Amino acid sequence: MDLDAQLVARAQSGDQQAFAELVRRHSARVFRLAVSILGREFVPEAEDVAQEVFLKAHHAIQSFRGEAEFGSWIYRITFNQAVNRKARVRFRSRHVDETALARAVAPEPAPDRRMEIAQRDAALAESIRNLPEVYQSALRLYYWLGAGVGEVAALLGVPENTAKSYLHRARKLLHAMLKEKGYSCD
Amino acid sequence: MTEMEPGEAGIDNLLRSSLAAPVPSLPPDFDQRLMRKVRRASQPFGRYHRLLFAGYGVTSVVTSAAVMRGQGLHWGPIALMVLGPLALAAALPWLRGAARPATRHSAG
Repeated sequence: MDLDAQLVARAQSGDQQAFAELVRRHSARVFRLAVSILGREFVPEAEDVAQEVFLKAHHAIQSFRGEAEFGSWIYRITFNQAVNRKARVRFRSRHVDETALARAVAPEPAPDRRMEIAQRDAALAESIRNLPEVYQSALRLYYWLGAGVGEVAALLGVPENTAKSYLHRARKLLHAMLKEKGYSCD
Repeated sequence: MTEMEPGEAGIDNLLRSSLAAPVPSLPPDFDQRLMRKVRRASQPFGRYHRLLFAGYGVTSVVTSAAVMRGQGLHWGPIALMVLGPLALAAALPWLRGAARPATRHSAG
């Protein structure tokens, strides 16, 4: 019996310390998954999602039978919760993108080059938003949050080869979308 | 690193530069704040709420019994109509517990 399973059994019998330990072990990954789905403009919403996920898990812990690992169970709840939240916040104004802040303090290239980069980044961001949710999440986890293929696979609840193929197909689709918009990335 | 076809290297570089941004993390007190909410959510009814709920129940039972009696019903059917739903409500948690092994784990 692994540590998570022991903690779940104790949490099911009402031990709040055990549940707190489960939160401590999984909160960072739950947040990373939520933020990978919502994107960098909705980081506070991802924190809300992480909180809702654990409240929901606490409420439903009695019905958890241990047929899957606790991690897989909670990541599946996170994925569904974050996708639902994304549908609700889609039309709300976005928070300041920290990339813009990082670039504001970085040495600036020439204005025409800057404009070109901004337009290409906007086209890329729009193309990413048009990808299926799992591809978007895989890309953000891998390229933004620095997750390895193993972590991408664990968080999305798929085998590593599937995670690799998500990344591969996402890159191919983005390449085609950008080409269609007149941007070359070869 | 995942395997890449020749044309993918360009988009890989673009993604690396375009998505490079500070990685956010949860505030350090996230776990404590969450556990406070968990404790609050798992607290049973307080004494005041229990009293209020019991008072409401007794008042509604007495009122409905008086109204039914006023309409000429005998005490037998009145008792059946009042106690029947109460017995059902009391048996619900037991019935739900008996049905639980058939359910699969899910929270969403």
